[in-house]
Amino acid sequence: MNCPRCNSAQEHLRTEYQGREGDELVWTVFYCRRCSFTWRDSEPAESIDYAEREAWFRADPDHPEKYKHNIPPADGN
Amino acid sequence: MDMETVTLSAEARAVAERIRNLRDYLELLAEHGQCITWPETVLPEPDIRKVVVAAGRDAMAGPAIVFDNIRGYPGKRLVIGVHGSFSNIALLLGKPKGTSIKELFYELAGRWGSDKPLINRVKPDDAPVHENRVEADINLYDMLPLYRINALDGGFYIAKANIVSRDPRDPDNFAKQNVGIYRIQVQGPDKFTLLSVPSHDMAQQIRMAEQDDVPLKIAVMLGNHPAMAMFAATPVNYDESEFAYASQMMGSPIDLTQSGNGLDVLAGAEMVIEAELLNNKRCLEGPFGEFPGSYSGIRHVPLFRVTAVSHRTDPIFESIYIGKGWTEHDTLIGLSTCAPIYAQLKENFPEVVAVNALYQHGLTGIISVKNRFAGFAKSVAMRALGTPHGLMYLKNLIMVDDDVDPFDLNQVMWALSTRTRASDIIVIPNMPMVIIDPAAEIPGKGHRLIIDATSFMPPDPIGGDAKIVSPPTGPEIDDLAKYILRLQKEAEGR
Repeated sequence: MNCPRCNSAQEHLRTEYQGREGDELVWTVFYCRRCSFTWRDSEPAESIDYAEREAWFRADPDHPEKYKHNIPPADGN
Repeated sequence: MDMETVTLSAEARAVAERIRNLRDYLELLAEHGQCITWPETVLPEPDIRKVVVAAGRDAMAGPAIVFDNIRGYPGKRLVIGVHGSFSNIALLLGKPKGTSIKELFYELAGRWGSDKPLINRVKPDDAPVHENRVEADINLYDMLPLYRINALDGGFYIAKANIVSRDPRDPDNFAKQNVGIYRIQVQGPDKFTLLSVPSHDMAQQIRMAEQDDVPLKIAVMLGNHPAMAMFAATPVNYDESEFAYASQMMGSPIDLTQSGNGLDVLAGAEMVIEAELLNNKRCLEGPFGEFPGSYSGIRHVPLFRVTAVSHRTDPIFESIYIGKGWTEHDTLIGLSTCAPIYAQLKENFPEVVAVNALYQHGLTGIISVKNRFAGFAKSVAMRALGTPHGLMYLKNLIMVDDDVDPFDLNQVMWALSTRTRASDIIVIPNMPMVIIDPAAEIPGKGHRLIIDATSFMPPDPIGGDAKIVSPPTGPEIDDLAKYILRLQKEAEGR
């Protein structure tokens, strides 16, 4: 499994939480450490399938300079 | 104007005294059919989104919806749409369901007054919010039924929290304590980003903390007294307290206690998340389906670490649907956006009659004013642009005469049709704008529009036939309209 948003490989993903009902595992939430995307594996494909997501909604963590700062950090980094 | 407390009707007084927290309000709403519990099991996505969008279609009368059967979140409760209709707002103000928006506006404007806090201090040991306390192994996913609000949001948002912070350079000043609604994206079990408009109080405090390299501690209040949710988003001046405003507007004391990290918080909140800014740390945030009805982009946004969580037993997670309007965002903050602009304009221009800034947090505003001379309304419009909220938000302003009800769009269209000359349209280029306004030239900068749809006044040459028909207006006609509605309902019931 890769990140649905930036396509980063499994090693960059973190398992956040598993929704359980008794012994049953209902779904799992994942987090991409590279692009910060969070998702649940039970969501519709439009949200969690890289191929189905519109290009505008993809992320490019290789080029962080593409993204503006809301409030630039005071230390300039 | 300075007064001890606002003057309330007997009905409003009874509601103000009864409602001390979210649970009290949900009970009141349920008694009037304005809060329902969803009868079926839902998946976090996409079921919750579908249900609340359907409920939100009716801006006048849609109910709040409680979800207590969410797959994978056994025992957890979520409520959406608490402020999702003007009928819900009416009940909070002690008015009947179906009260007109204009009547609600005057009710709120009438309550606008002094900044004298009506605060009831509750010892932390006695505060319901501290019934349960988590200081280790904090996991927000385990505490809240988090879900994706719009299908292409970048993550799971806490979108209806009231966030308390203090001026890091003047931390003991109660009045400089800020309470605002800022979107929060969960970035891990004990981390989140918080997005604030650069001109807002919170952004100023983040800058100060990082420049001075001092801590910025915040408290995220979830599931709050319904007045707090309405007025935390109110654009008051920097040294005015939102707690004071909320209590004044309700006309009854707000119960405050201390959070573990030393901030004033609502004693009856469902949950308080205590956190601190990780100075100079940023994390990618967004997109998020925002109130203009479009997704904001991805940005580097300040990151916070959760230090402790207090919560009531079986807390209710209060959330909101935001997207293409109308949504709960509009009904939640619409009237509390109108009232301060009205009050601030009145200080200079008592001729202002009403302000309708309901649309997308005031991106479009309609102001009715008693016109004094040619061009007068344009000067009032310029003053509106200089109010705290107008500075960033009031993008399109339509000025109408005092004989036009700005909340009745048919009347506004009449004024536009009959009183607007093309030369009465002013575009002010390259002005500050809300960064998430999709109509900006570049995010944060764009053009403002003023349409003067007021009547011609001397020394304007007045059109020869501009003698206006004066149909009867006023309370008598309003009452007759209500009477006709009742007769119609009775006829339907036969």
